[in-house]
Amino acid sequence: MRSIKRGFKSFYRHPVGNLIVVLLLFVCLAFSLSMLVVKLAADSQVEDIKESVGNYSEVRVSSEYILEVFEGELDKGERQRRREARSMNEEEEVADRAKFLLPEELADIFSRQDHIITFDKIQNAGIIITNAENSELAPLAQYATDAELARQGIEGLNRQTLGNLFVFEGNTDCSSASDFLNGSKKLVEGSFFTYEDYLEKNRVALVEKNMAEDNELEIGDEVEAVIVGGSRNNRTMEIEIIGIYETIEAERDSGSILDYNPAGNKLFAPLTVVQELNGTPGYVELGSYYFDNVDSTAALQQAFSQEIADGNRYELITDYMDYEKISDPLEKVGKTSMIGLIGALGACALIILLAMAIIIGGRTRELGVLKAIGATGRQVIVQYATEVICICLVSVILATGATVLISQGIGNWLLSGSVQNEVVEEGEETREYTGSYLSDRKLYKEGGLYSVAVEEDKTVNLNVIYQGDLLLYGILILFGISLLGMAVPVIWITRLRPARVLSIE
Amino acid sequence: MQETLEVKDLCKTFKAKAGDVTAVDKVSFEARKGEVTVIVGPSGSGKTTLLYLIGSLESPDGGEINTFGENIAASGADLIRYRRRRVGFVFQFFNLISALTTLENVMLPMDIQAVPVSEQRSTAVRLLDKMGIDARLQKAKANRISGGEKQRVAIARAMANDPDIILADEPTGNLDSATGRVVVDILVRLAREDNKCVVIVTHDEGILEVADHSFHMMDGKLTLQ
Repeated sequence: MRSIKRGFKSFYRHPVGNLIVVLLLFVCLAFSLSMLVVKLAADSQVEDIKESVGNYSEVRVSSEYILEVFEGELDKGERQRRREARSMNEEEEVADRAKFLLPEELADIFSRQDHIITFDKIQNAGIIITNAENSELAPLAQYATDAELARQGIEGLNRQTLGNLFVFEGNTDCSSASDFLNGSKKLVEGSFFTYEDYLEKNRVALVEKNMAEDNELEIGDEVEAVIVGGSRNNRTMEIEIIGIYETIEAERDSGSILDYNPAGNKLFAPLTVVQELNGTPGYVELGSYYFDNVDSTAALQQAFSQEIADGNRYELITDYMDYEKISDPLEKVGKTSMIGLIGALGACALIILLAMAIIIGGRTRELGVLKAIGATGRQVIVQYATEVICICLVSVILATGATVLISQGIGNWLLSGSVQNEVVEEGEETREYTGSYLSDRKLYKEGGLYSVAVEEDKTVNLNVIYQGDLLLYGILILFGISLLGMAVPVIWITRLRPARVLSIE
Repeated sequence: MQETLEVKDLCKTFKAKAGDVTAVDKVSFEARKGEVTVIVGPSGSGKTTLLYLIGSLESPDGGEINTFGENIAASGADLIRYRRRRVGFVFQFFNLISALTTLENVMLPMDIQAVPVSEQRSTAVRLLDKMGIDARLQKAKANRISGGEKQRVAIARAMANDPDIILADEPTGNLDSATGRVVVDILVRLAREDNKCVVIVTHDEGILEVADHSFHMMDGKLTLQ
């Protein structure tokens, strides 16, 4: 106890020397701890991100397969295509309509993978409504020719029907449609259709507010939709309006008139109803899946390749790129801060070793005196160890305070450097050409067909949060450097010959 | 009178590149309480080594150092207790701890023995007063006082634990003759009045006049003066 007390006294009796050591250690420790908390924050955020980004996937017909089919059709020539179309029986017609669709059974099989948490099935269809006019498209009819419309690939469409054409989006539960989830559309009246409606094939739909106003439609009214490929007795379907939504964002910047998508062009209906309207029962455009976290991507890819892919016909698309976009800069920050941490800790170790060597070297006479007047080696070591701990403790306390002040800044600085590098690297990448239509395919979660791809907030931020970890690591570092610092007096005192140092002038 | 200190055939050889150096060569002598024993000899004669051997700061290669019935040259001897209780050192270069006050320097040997602080203080003040170090100087840092004052503080420190033996290595070596005389007088008084066994090693033959016993040391060998 007396030795500890002497150590404390010795600490404040050598203010200049100890202050210099404290300052040097403080700088290195503040840097070390800042690097440490930045690394912890970056790692923690990457883990958090794994559960919210990069955990989405879609199964759909591959771009490659669509191109192959297009090329095959082009090779046939127009006359042959017409001849084949005329000679198709009902079953072949369905197959032809579904050639770019995914069998619903496959979407269901994939949904049973272990990692999948939620899933949905989506189909879009261009459907004519006889008793409603698409006020946005109708004025365009005068500028379009039948031949041009036919070239755009929508069968049965002509100048007269263009103004009655609407897009139906079908899924299993309207409230989980991406347009409503991402906020580009908002229910303003009535209600969503439910999973029960999907199962029961209830003929209900939600219409856009402008469309409802232009056509004087209200909740409970019915619209008459034309069934694609419908039989003479089953040509149209009466659909009840159960909800009216408002469009917050709508896509308007397209070169093609058919891609011109006014807000009122889209209705939401149960998937089973859209399948019936489109004449493609048992098919969906895509299966949409949320899974546990990004680490499951490889397992899902493997399962997809084994069970679903069917060569190159279907593809699994994920938002892994979004995850990378956010996680890469954070991971780089983590790596950089790790290097900084190691370097700074090395500097701390060097400083404490050198400082203690200088301090002890300058006080060898004192050590000799202590031994000569009867102090045991242990008493002398405890006294100097106390002094080392005081130096390290003051440095760590100051450094911890400084870390709270500067680590967010250091984190932001490291992150900005990483993000800039990312931008340069991305700029150097060459985007693979897949054709204008196909390259524009977006993930369903970003927005439904003809909706704006609502960009999720992919801005990378590093939030340095101070928890008990900082204190714990501070104590560990304190322990480590104190031990290192003590090594010098221990070695020195053990090897000291008092007779030699006491006779030196 | 019973011998306080009995040295028998004490040897110490240092290994050096140029060859082994025998600093102390079968030295034998006796010293008693209440007497001043002076060992004179030129520099390099081995007298400081002899003193450090007696003070257990060096370990001998052979021989005995018997004090109060214990051979402290034997392996297993309690050297820590010996240094704390039996012996007090006075060095040529004072060896005070400069960061401490003169009072704290004197308190230090008692602090190491865990003597209560109040007792340390009263003993240190008494000793310093006895050495002529006034209250102002007692509060001064050890590096702020003169050489003579330093040596008197060093003697007070040596006396802190009331040892039986005072070992003084060239106590006047760093002092002018007048100050040296004062220091020698203090050491003599310690022997005469406080019944201490005082052993002084010096090259200053002037000190011989206060010696009860004197020896001459040359090339590690001790001869009666």
